[in-house]
Amino acid sequence: MTATHATPRGQAVRAIAHRDLLEFVRDRRTLFVTLLMPMAMYPVLALASTLGLRTALSDLEARQEPRSLTLALSGADADGLATRLEQVAATVADEPPADWPARLTTELVPARAAQRLLDDGMADVWIDTPAGTAAALDGPGTVPLEARVSAVRPIDSRGQRHLLAVVRALAEDARRRRIEAEGLPASVLEPVALAFAGGSPVDGASSMEGILPTAAGGVLVLLALLTATGAFYPAIDALAGEKERGTIETLLLAPATAGEIVTGKFLAIWTVTLVTLLVNAVSIGLTGLVLLRFLPAGIDLGTDVARLSAAAIVTLLGYIGLASVAAATCLAVTSGARSGKEAQNTLTPVILLVSGLAGSALLPGAGGSALSALPFAGQVALARAALSGTAASTLALQLAISLAAAAAATWLLLRGAAAALADEELLFRGPDVAGSLFARPAPRSRPTPMQGFVAVLVAFAGLWYAQGIAPADLGLAVPIQQAALVLPLIAVALWQRVDQKTTFGLTAPGGRRWPLAALGGLLAGAGLFILGAAATLAVRGTHLSPAARDLATRIMELLLDRPWWLSGLLIALVPAICEELFFRGWVLAAFAGERPGRRRAVAAVLLQAAAFAAFHLLPERMPQTFLLGAVLGWMTLATGSLLPAVLAHLAHNAVPLVLVALATEGHGRRLAAGDTTTLPGWLLPAAAVATVAGLALVHAARRR
Amino acid sequence: MIEAAGLVKHFRSADGRVVKAVEGVSFVVGPGEMVGLLGANGVGKTTTMRLIATLLRPTVGTARIDGCDVTVDPLGVRRRLGYLSATTGVPDRLAPREVLQSFGRLYGLDQAVLAHRVPALLDALGLGDCAARPCGRLSTGQRQRVSLGRALVHDPPALVLDEPTSGLDVVGARDLLDLLERLRGEGRSILISTHRLHEIERRCDRFLIIHAGRIVAAGTREEMAAAPGGLEGAFFAAVEPGAHP
Repeated sequence: MTATHATPRGQAVRAIAHRDLLEFVRDRRTLFVTLLMPMAMYPVLALASTLGLRTALSDLEARQEPRSLTLALSGADADGLATRLEQVAATVADEPPADWPARLTTELVPARAAQRLLDDGMADVWIDTPAGTAAALDGPGTVPLEARVSAVRPIDSRGQRHLLAVVRALAEDARRRRIEAEGLPASVLEPVALAFAGGSPVDGASSMEGILPTAAGGVLVLLALLTATGAFYPAIDALAGEKERGTIETLLLAPATAGEIVTGKFLAIWTVTLVTLLVNAVSIGLTGLVLLRFLPAGIDLGTDVARLSAAAIVTLLGYIGLASVAAATCLAVTSGARSGKEAQNTLTPVILLVSGLAGSALLPGAGGSALSALPFAGQVALARAALSGTAASTLALQLAISLAAAAAATWLLLRGAAAALADEELLFRGPDVAGSLFARPAPRSRPTPMQGFVAVLVAFAGLWYAQGIAPADLGLAVPIQQAALVLPLIAVALWQRVDQKTTFGLTAPGGRRWPLAALGGLLAGAGLFILGAAATLAVRGTHLSPAARDLATRIMELLLDRPWWLSGLLIALVPAICEELFFRGWVLAAFAGERPGRRRAVAAVLLQAAAFAAFHLLPERMPQTFLLGAVLGWMTLATGSLLPAVLAHLAHNAVPLVLVALATEGHGRRLAAGDTTTLPGWLLPAAAVATVAGLALVHAARRR
Repeated sequence: MIEAAGLVKHFRSADGRVVKAVEGVSFVVGPGEMVGLLGANGVGKTTTMRLIATLLRPTVGTARIDGCDVTVDPLGVRRRLGYLSATTGVPDRLAPREVLQSFGRLYGLDQAVLAHRVPALLDALGLGDCAARPCGRLSTGQRQRVSLGRALVHDPPALVLDEPTSGLDVVGARDLLDLLERLRGEGRSILISTHRLHEIERRCDRFLIIHAGRIVAAGTREEMAAAPGGLEGAFFAAVEPGAHP
């Protein structure tokens, strides 16, 4: 027996990372699926897409190719017009204008025969020319020409372009003749002539300026997804696989903390993910070079090698952060799984999450420093910005934000994974507990954080689908939306056997002090609406998005067209009860848990407020609803009762009703609809006083 | 030395009940002593051993390995303890040599020490011929010996072995127990549990019989042998008072 000694710092982490990497490299099947298959798939995908592209290009080329145009001319002056057209054709023969046909033919026919020519496809257009048509071209007036086409064989778009080009040339020729007849120089028709010093910068080649970042967007999302998939199999193997094989105990018996074990495993997964990134990036680069050879000659990508190289470096650096978040996410998500199969099931939503987040960077207007902090979306946006030639300083800032955010997200996720690894229940639970999310548990005081999270997801899905079936009339839309929120919640709450009183705060706040809390809630809610509306007006003015304006209009219609009690029920009372039961009831109870510490309470309040803000769907309303949600969350935790939050929400939503009722000459109505930038001078101070007084009253009625 | 001092462990079951797995277990296993922990399934044997090995945290009470407390310095306990159970696996894709080296590094041993210790351990465990073969291709007995090698690679003064012979054939079980006797001879404290009483009745120095989370009987090998029906008789008398073997 030897004397025991501490493991040098970092050695345990390195030993675990080394062991996991060795195991991964030995797993030939996973190695093939993760690293080699993408390399083999790119040529197949590229070939298929290139064939499609080439077909599309040749089709486009064929459609651009000029064809012959045949005009059937009838009438007394058909011969005269035909002669003029021949002269025009001869004039432009050396330098045909845009859309000029390959060959211009005229057929002089009687009117009766012209229609048959059209229907037989022997002519594209039939023009009847009364006597004096050709001569009138040289006169001062406008010559009306009526082109007739076949109903059986209508002229195609290429023929129409050719016809218009012929008519433009005929008119140009007539203008020139009229000028000459008046003895004026030809320059009368060309008052300005522009020429580039040193020749045209476009040089005749077709340019794809600005197309590359757009076209590359899909590839960047694909790269993000494939990079993330590099983490999937190693993550499944890392903890769930160890549990399945019975080897996790051996690690937990080693002198290493849960944090060190998780960090070692993360390093192994991150390494595999980085290799996956590199393999995919190289494959994409090589595939891109091959595809360039398939592009038609003369196409300018609108970028240069230096910019492409810089963009590639920025993309790779950004995606190193993405790989880190992907590895940590997969590890954290699978840390609670007991078997590989369970881990695979829990990883499926991660694929959707990565795809959704990465794809969101392609939305019009998406980008900027704030988005850089969002994992997966930020890296795609950063790469697109680099490709579109964003200034180096801006790119550096966005890259720094992206990497810092990735590091923070990784740290948080690893903390979560370490907590799950040290959780005895997760580690040694029996199969009866394995499906606890969907199993009916024993009666308990409140839902678990996971059930709070699932409730938010289900509510969003419900709201999303309700949008599709809800009519424009708010009288029906509001009940449908609120039902979509609350009905699944009631079912889940009954199924999960939580204590309704504790979860939904169905108690009077502060014993005898409940009137204080109730009054405080009403005052603060009303004050917050005015303050929020004023802040929104100050920041955004009256420029609302179409969706926000539509909602404001529908609210006004409801207020004006329906009885006041119905408006109050739909806008104030029903949302106040349903949304409070959901957000400050179930979700807050789930996130905060029983007797939360200060940090957990703050996190729970902010998380449910973020969900509450997102639930309102309109971006311009989110800051206001986030703040309201946070205040309502604080009220609920402070008093242990839902009553102040319900009353505050009620008062908040009832303010537009009151404003409409008090409206003078439409001012209040415009204010209620957010359609004015002016507020009565006394309103803001009154709102501020009401808010502060309301919060103070609720604070006085808090739990002791 | 292995000491358990008033160990208590309560779990909450899926239906919300409190399950009292271990209810105040205390004992000492001295240096050079091998003690058998006997009990039926589900009476608290594995939980007690997991508490000693720091895989679970005690609700009340504590345990110490060579004076190192599981609640105060769990990492110190792990450095002094070798643990093995019937369900402890070995990585299928690594060879025995790699398993021992990898865990040696995890325990802070440097390469020079490992270069000497790993081959010696492989030979002692009879794994010299298959040291480079992936564990997934070894027999159950060989895999269990790799597992024991993993538990011994840091040369711990104490061993906790939860049904180490489970799944082994008669020869494999005998070889393993022979090896444990040699380890005891080196002065290590060994706590071992098994359902096969005959395997250990002549090898352990003392026995502890656990039932419903409590130690209900204890005695030396001689005391147990002297009981009506020997060790088996003493066991049934302890867990089923009034029953005859």
